[in-house]
Amino acid sequence: MATAMNSLQTEELENRFVVIHPLDDVPEEKVDTESLGPMAMTWSVRISLVSLRAYLVSMMLLVLYHALNLAGLLGRH
Amino acid sequence: MNNKILTMPAAGAETEIMPVRGRVVKSQWTFNLLTFLMVLGPGLIVMVADNDAGAVSTYIQAGAQYGTHLLWVILLLLPVTYFIQEMVVRLGIATGKGHAAMIYQRFGKWWGLFSLADLELVNFLTLVTEFAAIDLACANLGIDPWIGVPVAATVLVTIAVTGSYRRWERMTVALCLLDLVWLYLAWRLHPPLADLAHGLVPGIPQGGLTGDLTFLVIAIVGTTVAPWQLFFQQSCIADKKLRFADVKWARLDTFLGACITIAVAGCMLIAGNYSRIHGFKFDDPARMANNLLPIASWFVRNALLLLMINAALLGATAISLSSAWAYGEVRGWPHSLELPFQKAKGFYGVYGLSVALAAGIVLIPKAPLQLIILSVQVLAGVMLPSAIIFLQLLLNDRELLGAHANKPWNNLVNWTIIVVLFGLSMILAAQVAAPNLFPAS
Repeated sequence: MATAMNSLQTEELENRFVVIHPLDDVPEEKVDTESLGPMAMTWSVRISLVSLRAYLVSMMLLVLYHALNLAGLLGRH
Repeated sequence: MNNKILTMPAAGAETEIMPVRGRVVKSQWTFNLLTFLMVLGPGLIVMVADNDAGAVSTYIQAGAQYGTHLLWVILLLLPVTYFIQEMVVRLGIATGKGHAAMIYQRFGKWWGLFSLADLELVNFLTLVTEFAAIDLACANLGIDPWIGVPVAATVLVTIAVTGSYRRWERMTVALCLLDLVWLYLAWRLHPPLADLAHGLVPGIPQGGLTGDLTFLVIAIVGTTVAPWQLFFQQSCIADKKLRFADVKWARLDTFLGACITIAVAGCMLIAGNYSRIHGFKFDDPARMANNLLPIASWFVRNALLLLMINAALLGATAISLSSAWAYGEVRGWPHSLELPFQKAKGFYGVYGLSVALAAGIVLIPKAPLQLIILSVQVLAGVMLPSAIIFLQLLLNDRELLGAHANKPWNNLVNWTIIVVLFGLSMILAAQVAAPNLFPAS
């Protein structure tokens, strides 16, 4: 009886579509990012990132100086 | 339609049977529609929340100062914002992890911590501006900000700590749909159609390329394409556990969100233009709403103030969540809206603390809000190009993304966007370093 019910359900499902919410679905296998480690980079990319780092640090210092100046904490406007 | 809820064992799980709840439908069309509706959320929310309190002020100011002349800039930002967020969709679905985690794992500790610190700082300052807008709108609506601001903070915390991603998403999508009232509001203001059509054609407004215009354009770009969006949408996609099969629906979700946000931004500009046509000088959106009371209607004035609060609430929940997710990812804490408070205290703690501190700062008399607003604009401008460079490098990482990595045309479009954003960032930097470099008007 149980088998007949199962085959009936299977046949019914073949002609229909099942919508499953992502949160109700079986977890999907994703890329194992932790085992990949740091990204392999060419020298040009490395140099570009070092330049970007220098730019960002100098900009942050500039913004900090500007903010302190506007707040009147550096003693002049 | 003969739909029913079905619980069945997962396909392919031969050794371990895990129940899966699904809805059975008869047609492919219904299947597609329901799948889209289930995937809908991260893209719509990230885009609509981008029209936060700062954006309301910037777009209205653009309309109040330059009429509809800058509509083309907003329209041009539709593909820009979509292309950037579409990359986030692919990265989020392929890795199932947030942006902060990806930077930390693929670029090392220094970049991971720098990006996190920068994001947390800019997000917190932005959050203060959201509450400043709530404070301003409440005061103009006759609500004591000492009541309005804590109530808003409580609402923001309550919608997030329910332990259900779906509950948070439904409430936030409802707030997003409220934003559509901007369309009705713009229609009520009867914008001159010829001016709208003229505004869509690229050109410089009367008066030429002044310093004020340059910075307003930078502010428009900065408010439409913001760094927190990258972090928010990727973490949101990871939390919602979107699948590879959902990529096309997530793209559609993002595109729909981008269209709505740009249309709403245009409506804000139309509201500013209406105030300009009637000869009002722009100070802030709340004062503009009050100015419009005698010539428009009670509805227009109150709708503008309530929409300001709605924009601030949406921005606040998305920004606080992007901070909490990013912090949880880098620290390795449990970080999901699906978890109850007891199991993710650090994650909810960062969210609640950000909201509470930002709300508290706004209520301090004579808090340096103007300085905070300026710092937000500058820091976001500085951070954005570098954040997009990391995104671009990650999207070219075939080891990570495989078939989902960028195609050559993606790279061409994205490098063009990066070059333009860096140019604007440099102009902003020059203005900070030498404020008198550009003529005022």
